[in-house]
Amino acid sequence: MRKKTFTAAVLLAAATLTLSACGSGDDAGSPVAVVEGGSDAGKAATVLDQPFDKPELVLTDTHGKKYDLRKETKGHPTLVYFGYTHCPDVCPTTMSNIAVAKKALPKAEQDDLRVVFVTTDPGRDTPAELGRWLKGIDPQFIGLTGDFAKIQAGAKSVGIAVEPTSKDKNGKLVSVHGTQVIAFSPKTDAGYVLYGENATVDDYTKDLPKLVEGATP
Amino acid sequence: MRRRTAALTAGALTGALALTGCSGSGAGPEKAELSVSASYMPQPVSADMAAGFLTITNKGTSEDELTSVTSDVAGEVTMHSTTGGAMAEQSSFAIPAHGKLVFRSGGNHLMFEKLKHTPKQGQTVTVKLDFAKSGPLTVEMPVKSTTYNPSTGH
Repeated sequence: MRKKTFTAAVLLAAATLTLSACGSGDDAGSPVAVVEGGSDAGKAATVLDQPFDKPELVLTDTHGKKYDLRKETKGHPTLVYFGYTHCPDVCPTTMSNIAVAKKALPKAEQDDLRVVFVTTDPGRDTPAELGRWLKGIDPQFIGLTGDFAKIQAGAKSVGIAVEPTSKDKNGKLVSVHGTQVIAFSPKTDAGYVLYGENATVDDYTKDLPKLVEGATP
Repeated sequence: MRRRTAALTAGALTGALALTGCSGSGAGPEKAELSVSASYMPQPVSADMAAGFLTITNKGTSEDELTSVTSDVAGEVTMHSTTGGAMAEQSSFAIPAHGKLVFRSGGNHLMFEKLKHTPKQGQTVTVKLDFAKSGPLTVEMPVKSTTYNPSTGH
């Protein structure tokens, strides 16, 4: 009985505390539990001290033809991105940002620039599927598909890790995209500048005139 | 029997006090107070799928959970988190008390599939949000350009 009395007292105390908690309603400096990721004001471009060699990728383009990345893009300013078309957010945004920025270049430079989208989901991204998707972004963009192991090795050679498409617990296919665009110089054919997925149209518009000359942005 | 009585009394007392406490403050019981801001859909580049972004702010004293999303333009809307280029479907997202749930490009996003038509810039799509505790919210989500950046507004 003594024990029970004690419990009741504790409960009473708890109730009193609850009461005061309810009373103090207007707290001004409330904490925000989930904070939006900071959009860093710094430069979008990361210039590499140790440039990458252009990946040795021989794949299939959107016309179903063999495409040798090194051969076809030699001497051209080239942007390479690894992504997939069943991607609602980052992949179309990245490619569209480049497409809009490219329109600000003089015509000759637009034609000189090679923008290459290499799929990380070759199972779903057939040449026709890739072509249809890229046409909605920029018909000059080049889409490549082929053997996943080759694509993964090519991505790895420029520091981009991608995994094969897999099924999640609901049986849905889940693919992985790279998080960076790599710019290759027309002078050296080396990958010397990286752009993260936060790079905007303005960032690319500002930097493309330098990239097409192989200059440092 | 005596013991039982004591326990019951204590329980009743607690209940009474808690009740008085909350109604006395005039705010009613603890609950979430949700509002939606910064919603937009970038115009999709294909007819297959689209992304959507928004922020849900909870000014209330209790947490809630976003449990499902539906839309007039899509046969299916799913919620995803993104880490390092891999997205993962989630069945719900928590909205902490006095906190925010943010869907933004590169992070959490809504994925609209089985589109009934391709949303175009300038249109709006209707999106209904269901929660674990609060009543549903309906959002008229504007369709922006494919390259729309909410921090610059264009």
